[in-house]
Amino acid sequence: MAPARWLCTVVTVSALAVSISASISISIGAGAGPQGTGTIRGRVETPTTPPRSVPRPSVGDVSASPSLSPDHLTRRQSVVYLESGPRGAFADLPAGRARLDQRHEQFVPHVLAITVGTTVDFPNNDLTFHNVFSLSPVKTFDLGRYPVGQSRSVRFDRAGHVPVFCDIHSHMSAYILVFSHPFFALTDDEGHYTITGVPAGSYSVAVWSESGGSDPQRVIVAEGGLVEAAFRLRQRRE
Amino acid sequence: MSQRRAAVLVASLLTAACVASTAAAQSAPPAEIDRGLKAAGDFSVVWGPRDADAFFNYTDYRHNLLRLARLRLAAEWRVRRGVSFLGQVQAENTDDVDVIAAYVRWRPWTHRGVVVQAGRIPPVVGAYARRAYGADNAVIGSPLAYQYLTLLRNDALPETMDDVLRMRGRGWQPSFPVGSAALRPGVPLVSPRWDTGIEASWRRSALEVSGAITMGAPSQPRLRATNDGRQWSGRAAWHFPAGITAAVSGARGSWLDRGVLALVAADRRRSSQSLVGADVEIGRGRWLLRSEWLRAGFDVPLASGPTAVAHLTAASAFAELRYRPHPRWQVGMRVERLAFSHVPNALDGGSLTPWDAPVSRIETVVGFRVLRTVDLRAGWQQDWRAGGRIRERGYPALQALVRF
Repeated sequence: MAPARWLCTVVTVSALAVSISASISISIGAGAGPQGTGTIRGRVETPTTPPRSVPRPSVGDVSASPSLSPDHLTRRQSVVYLESGPRGAFADLPAGRARLDQRHEQFVPHVLAITVGTTVDFPNNDLTFHNVFSLSPVKTFDLGRYPVGQSRSVRFDRAGHVPVFCDIHSHMSAYILVFSHPFFALTDDEGHYTITGVPAGSYSVAVWSESGGSDPQRVIVAEGGLVEAAFRLRQRRE
Repeated sequence: MSQRRAAVLVASLLTAACVASTAAAQSAPPAEIDRGLKAAGDFSVVWGPRDADAFFNYTDYRHNLLRLARLRLAAEWRVRRGVSFLGQVQAENTDDVDVIAAYVRWRPWTHRGVVVQAGRIPPVVGAYARRAYGADNAVIGSPLAYQYLTLLRNDALPETMDDVLRMRGRGWQPSFPVGSAALRPGVPLVSPRWDTGIEASWRRSALEVSGAITMGAPSQPRLRATNDGRQWSGRAAWHFPAGITAAVSGARGSWLDRGVLALVAADRRRSSQSLVGADVEIGRGRWLLRSEWLRAGFDVPLASGPTAVAHLTAASAFAELRYRPHPRWQVGMRVERLAFSHVPNALDGGSLTPWDAPVSRIETVVGFRVLRTVDLRAGWQQDWRAGGRIRERGYPALQALVRF
């Protein structure tokens, strides 16, 4: 199973997608959003899909364990976020609520991005018990074993990256990314993302993905502007 | 090809399988990953004191479980929908490589919970022998029923019950006048090794039923038949929604080698071992409770004397508890007892005496999870035996366990 990874970003200049470290992208169009803000959008290109974590060989089983459903998780999903920004952009955040489901011996979604102070519910909607835990220094927790139909919750009060596992099913994994600001976006199935409402200013934009890494990227967002920033992830060498 | 060479070959193949599966996992699209090869393993090192006189933790393969390095590799190769080959090899203290499992699994129907397995297969009796060693063990040692050596041997027989009683508490190296004179250990109630044969199981909702026909006996699983008997075993388990699994199981097989049976009169040639058991597991929150009871009966032909065949029984029960007070910390405890049926003791004026020395054991462990796949444990095991030269001993033990 691939370990948790933070990726840096690469600036992409024009359609050639040539990466040049420390380049700057500047607003090129009108971006929808609150007054005094702009938009960052683009696409993250991933070289490979992270391998699915498969159950360990069930050598000791004598009966049929429930078949796993096909892996419908979006493992190519990345999170694009502002690595730095003006202090005013990191104001107090309202306490939110999010959900990381357990179905067919999988966490759904596979990647969850939240803000500090968010409480995540872990409902068990599977056919068997689960035991959700994380040893991340950002948030260490163990929810114990609980049955189908029940849920447990965890509040995340520090920013960072939290790999989540099941103590009973070693092939189950998910990632929770906790941000101290609201300026991040998950990519869609094709890698597109949009971060709206970004206060005008200069920012370092980074991208996190399970499948690869890249260098950070500097962008300048103008009031009402739209910044295009594309990323091409390098495959990890591990 | 010798068994050792075969084991080395299988070990090599599994090692290659590990590498191949890693490479395959990097490139295979998700939809195809349920086919193909997957592999895993674990490595455990236990540091405990030497034990050259009490032998409380020695196994039928002559290793001290509290002073042991063990490497396990397991692989599953799904060749087509519903058909898999599974194998597991184990190396202990670098001097043995053993094929623990090697069988084919066939699921004839995708949506019906029927499984047929043939080869060196997991046992259906009891629960402990199917669990992954180390990570799934509440403590460091094994339960008495699956490890402790009784005075009975499958290749040597007593002349009379007096010969049996003289060996009480000496299961590490019992000797008898009939059969093999070699120095060998006795047999446990249930061997942790797996037997060879075919089994079928059916699971629907909460009910799981399994049955198997194999070559050996609970105490004597076999890769090759050493007698003309067959082992019949079965198990019924219920998985309740509240996190409770309860099961009953039973087995009957021939445990004596044909070579030693041939040395007794024809009317005394009985060699069956029977086993009945019940087990329960309750997991809730940070607690995990497991308990198991087993009762084994051995037919022991006596070469001379008025009693042709002695039927000796032994019963074992344990309860173990694991608690995780913190995501990185866990504590575990197992309490158990192994008792034996009583026989008249002519050496002691005819009083009734257990045919082997009863044993009690308490073991506690504190574990720390360094990483998700790395555990460190420290424990203490205290044993008491109502017989033998050493009647009580405590063992400290440290364990490092890595899963990959």
